[in-house]
Amino acid sequence: MKEKFEPNIIGFLCNWCSYAGADLAGTSRIQYPPNLKVIRVMCSGRVNPIFVINALQQGADGVLIGGCHPGDCHYERGNYLARRRMAVLKNLLEYTGIDSRRVRMTWVSAAEGNKFAEVVKEVTEDVRKLGPMQHFRRENKW
Amino acid sequence: MVDEKQLRDAVKKTVGRKDVKYVVGYDKGTTGFQAAPTFAYDEKDAEKFVFNPTCVNNLAVYPMLEDKPPLRRDEEPDTRKIGIVLKGCDSRAIVQIIQEKGLKREDVVIIGIPCTGVVDVKKLKAKFPGQHKSVEVKDDNDKFAITVDGKTQKISKDELMPEKCKECEYPTPIIHDILIGKEIKGTKKPDYKEIVTLEKKSLDEKWKDWEKEFDKCIRCYACRNACPMCYCKECMVELLDPQWVRRSVNLSENTAWNLLRAFHLAGRCVGCGECERACPMDIPLMKLNKKITKDIQELYDYKAGIDAEAKPLLAMFKPDDPEEFIL
Repeated sequence: MKEKFEPNIIGFLCNWCSYAGADLAGTSRIQYPPNLKVIRVMCSGRVNPIFVINALQQGADGVLIGGCHPGDCHYERGNYLARRRMAVLKNLLEYTGIDSRRVRMTWVSAAEGNKFAEVVKEVTEDVRKLGPMQHFRRENKW
Repeated sequence: MVDEKQLRDAVKKTVGRKDVKYVVGYDKGTTGFQAAPTFAYDEKDAEKFVFNPTCVNNLAVYPMLEDKPPLRRDEEPDTRKIGIVLKGCDSRAIVQIIQEKGLKREDVVIIGIPCTGVVDVKKLKAKFPGQHKSVEVKDDNDKFAITVDGKTQKISKDELMPEKCKECEYPTPIIHDILIGKEIKGTKKPDYKEIVTLEKKSLDEKWKDWEKEFDKCIRCYACRNACPMCYCKECMVELLDPQWVRRSVNLSENTAWNLLRAFHLAGRCVGCGECERACPMDIPLMKLNKKITKDIQELYDYKAGIDAEAKPLLAMFKPDDPEEFIL
């Protein structure tokens, strides 16, 4: 029997908006795919592209970065800076032949539990269609 | 053609100044195929300085390489300046370093050289294989006059120039204290044709190409060491805790290193082509750098190494930056 591919998605969610949005989705009993593994960061501006590439190396099939809506950042400008970084990184990945849909970014406020569930559903379906990330997975052989 | 006497006089004058420690420039090198960086500590040393189309190295790395050991008690820090001989493309690196506050403008004395194009040493050596007693390369309008063991041959510049010179926008140094010779106006513009054709390939094709390139990498980090913009005291690949990139040489780590190196130069790479030149495995690193340069120009209308007063690209933002990719 062929096992169905379940994607592994790492979510870097900002403490003030997206993480609270995910919390709201949970307390409101909204269903969303369990493929997302959440890592809380203090701000989406904390997400170094090294985190994204390292996640893809270590077996993630996709990465989702969640921040506050523009203008709502707790630290005023973190999400704007993250937006620039991720735009450049996504283009670079696409250029080297890695589908840039594996790295997604979203704005979710603390009041948008529904939107959070929708986003996770969309990302999971996209990555499921793309299949496992096999381009440069790290092989732990020793 | 650069007047070498004028260059030597300028070096002499600069190194004779009390507030200048030394001047970095080019000397003939051992074979003549490629000029070697050299230092002048006094006026006598200035005699060995040359400038010809084999002066390919970007000397802007040197002020950043300088060792600054901790001071002893009551020791005054050495605040003397460093003189550098710079071509147009190299001067952009210094502008970018000044923009990032890696150096102050008054830390360096720039001897600018309006440059009409240098040779690609790899191409030149392929053209004249084997050992030669003497090699001399001279600039001759739209040709290089190459004298190998007494025989002179004229070869068109298009054949021997690296890509960066074919689309050089700034042949005259952007900032300089002394300019050798007359200013040259840049007439060429990068067209990114090669990048656009690479972009249009399918994902599988692109990955197949890059997989082959990254697989070649031996992780000697020559690209980093030759790069004037890679001057972090501790590079992220050498961090052990957290160890982001492992030291093993395999496709996974090589890909991570090459992507991250390119990303760390986003909005900073001035396109001097040193990484590609230094690469012993001939990985086309400039294709990665140029892609990012093209992107940031399209997305943010930003060019690195032009304005020392501008803010670094990834440390600023506009509220209306493009965000179509955001869910």
